[in-house]
Amino acid sequence: MIKARSFKGGIHPPGNKDLSSKQPIRRLPAPETVWIPLCQHMGVPSKPSVSKGDKVKRGEEIGTQNGFISLPTHSPVNGTVKSIESFPMPHRRTGPCVVIETESEDGGQVFEKWDDYSSHSPAEITERIKLAGICGMGGASFPTYVKLSPPPDKNIDTLIINGIECEPYLTADHRLMLENPDDVILGMEILAYTLGVEKCLIGIEINKPDAIELMDKKGVSVLPLKVSYPQGAEKQLIDAATGREVPAGGLPLDVGVVVQNVGTAAAVAKAVRDGEPSLRRIITVTGRGVFSPANYDACVGTLFSDLIGKSGGYTEDVKRLISGGPMMGMSLYTDGVPVTKGTSGLLALTDDEVRDVVEGPCIRCGKCVDVCPLRLTPNLIALAAENERWKLAEGFGALNCMACGTCSYVCPAGRYLVHYIKKAQDAIRANKGKEA
Amino acid sequence: MAQTRRFELAMSPHVGANQTTRKIMFDVVIALLPALAAATWFFGPRALLIVFLSAATAVVAEFLCLKFMKRPVSFALDGSAIVTGMLLAYNLPSGVPIWLPVIGTAFAIVVGKQAFGGLGHNIVNPALLGRAFLMASFPILMTAGWAAPEAWNSSEDISWGTSGIAMEEMSTIPMADAISGATPLNVLKQTFDLDASAANARNEGNTTEAQSLEERADGIRSALSCNSTYMNLLIGRSGGCLGETSVILLLVGAIYLVMRGVLELRLPVSYLGTVAVLAWVFGGSGWFNGDPLFHVLAGGVILGGIFMVSDMVTTPVTPKGRIIFGIGAGLLTMVIRRWGGYPEGCSYSILLMNLVTPLIDKLTLPRVFGEVKKNG
Ligand code: SF4
Ligand code: SF4
Repeated sequence: MIKARSFKGGIHPPGNKDLSSKQPIRRLPAPETVWIPLCQHMGVPSKPSVSKGDKVKRGEEIGTQNGFISLPTHSPVNGTVKSIESFPMPHRRTGPCVVIETESEDGGQVFEKWDDYSSHSPAEITERIKLAGICGMGGASFPTYVKLSPPPDKNIDTLIINGIECEPYLTADHRLMLENPDDVILGMEILAYTLGVEKCLIGIEINKPDAIELMDKKGVSVLPLKVSYPQGAEKQLIDAATGREVPAGGLPLDVGVVVQNVGTAAAVAKAVRDGEPSLRRIITVTGRGVFSPANYDACVGTLFSDLIGKSGGYTEDVKRLISGGPMMGMSLYTDGVPVTKGTSGLLALTDDEVRDVVEGPCIRCGKCVDVCPLRLTPNLIALAAENERWKLAEGFGALNCMACGTCSYVCPAGRYLVHYIKKAQDAIRANKGKEA
Repeated sequence: MAQTRRFELAMSPHVGANQTTRKIMFDVVIALLPALAAATWFFGPRALLIVFLSAATAVVAEFLCLKFMKRPVSFALDGSAIVTGMLLAYNLPSGVPIWLPVIGTAFAIVVGKQAFGGLGHNIVNPALLGRAFLMASFPILMTAGWAAPEAWNSSEDISWGTSGIAMEEMSTIPMADAISGATPLNVLKQTFDLDASAANARNEGNTTEAQSLEERADGIRSALSCNSTYMNLLIGRSGGCLGETSVILLLVGAIYLVMRGVLELRLPVSYLGTVAVLAWVFGGSGWFNGDPLFHVLAGGVILGGIFMVSDMVTTPVTPKGRIIFGIGAGLLTMVIRRWGGYPEGCSYSILLMNLVTPLIDKLTLPRVFGEVKKNG
């Protein structure tokens, strides 16, 4: 038996992964029209560098990087810019999109192919990763090159590739590891080389024994992890892998670790070896509200409605549409929303699948305290937030909360704990801004 | 186009555990039922009536309060009022007049719970507050109604249930008139009074009298600590409040709650553990010769430990805080039993600890992940 590690706290929601975990990744051709959001990454949106009527080539930059925490945006197709307009987005209400009419989808190699990455300097590779517009593909969409440029006083000694996929339902990373392990491994090697680290692991939950076995056979050091949500959260993963606690308010690099998602690693491999920017991603379309759950390799800018159409459409009883996983994903009121680099899943859930409780008062059962992976007291923070006692909420450590939803999941009173805590975080940060 | 379909918006997480406040409360109700069966068996249908009246009063009082405050009246059926009503009834002697539980429960719900803002906002356990109110207002009724178990359907005169102690022995105890329906803890308390008289006698130089008093006290104490007493306490054949009699059936309820994930063991274990240890330390006539088993089995300690020390609303939410609460309540229980004015210390100790719960929570906040150390 594999000795699996884990962290303290956490929950075991039903995985529901078997809906789609046996479905091989299907590559979807680019749709007739693509909606390319200019802000698919965390940080400042890129500045549009094309205008209506322009012809663009696949891989061409259509938005330029705009600041340090920002990335360029590329066209995933050859075609004509129809317009630049505001459009519903998976993570915000609306955002600027470049709408492109697709003519074809060939080409895409815009950088030189590097067959031997090690003949290039880490700085060159970091620059390539930046120009390729790669951001974290596990959900947070943080620009990858920033994580690869640690301040000189930080000594990075460990790279962890995150293949955990602890969100229920999602299987995109799992399928990627099974079907394209070589890209993941190459990406991992490139990242390790760029960071100059020796120790490099891939963390996988033991509910994916096939992926663990495959990676192990290929000579990668695998870190098997117990199935527990949120095992894939950076701090919990680092804790399980190295026993190091990322300081409150700090970053993984404060403890000498960089974490990258498996999808990100594969994107890095493509950018370095094939000279192709980040134009596509693997996405799981699942839930009992859609006829045939599947994993797709889809073009950025493909509308969710297209994906649902490819999956046989909605069932009668579909109720909620979610971008991302069921724990941290956002519910959408429309499926006219484009896929971004960070979209790991699209869930169509039925009445039976979603939890619908009427919120009642906190009965102080303490369950949220027991499960919070960051050892916060969610009930007390939420109460303080409801009474707008922001200082008190801050004293309880509100700013540490990563909104993983574990506390709300267990709350018998159906308290919107994450919502209240986020509200407190916003208010605390706003007040800080005022004071500064 | 497909965009015409509109979906429900909701906050994440979109899935959740299959647990609700109502389910928890009704699990507690279910866990209380075996003890109710015992109460009915030993004290007769009157016990059932008292519990029913109490629970019904709780629901009606809750409903009226919610109505008055224009809050959703459906909360009255969330089970928490029923739990309060049942627990209050469980803390009454079976011989009380039937209007007593009605008054007590109404007080518990209106003053103990709704006045603070309803479920989740009350500081102290409403059932215990209701009991304290009755003790203060009707002390005689609250202590005279100890019925002998099984007396209700027996033609014989079973004078009291802690068998193993001869009646002649009892009659020699001062305050013997209260004995007719005594509880085992009452008897124990009286042996301490015997000890005190013995000491007095010795001071006055009356050694023979002192010796005979001491012998009597020791005799009663050893009778209390015999196997048949333990057995009676376990199955419930002893005098006491309605719900506290049958230890075994209370434990059945506890096991059910643990299996349902409702009972968190830190509280009851630290409480009962503390009671047991301190019973040995100072629960007897001197030091380190007390009888832990007797103290844990007798009186409301098991009932309190399972259902009142572990009341979610009025006890700490932090893991460490729960242990501190249990230890604190255990300590107070034993101090009251040994030196306080009441034979039984369980409910007052819990009420007192309820008051410091917010403070305990504040002082035992867990160290946040990645934080070096809290100052202070
Ligand atoms: S959402 Fe925040 S408070 Fe709740 S469990 Fe996650 S980290 Fe803890
Ligand atoms: S889980 Fe819900 S009811 Fe329980 S303490 Fe936390 S907020 Fe209160």
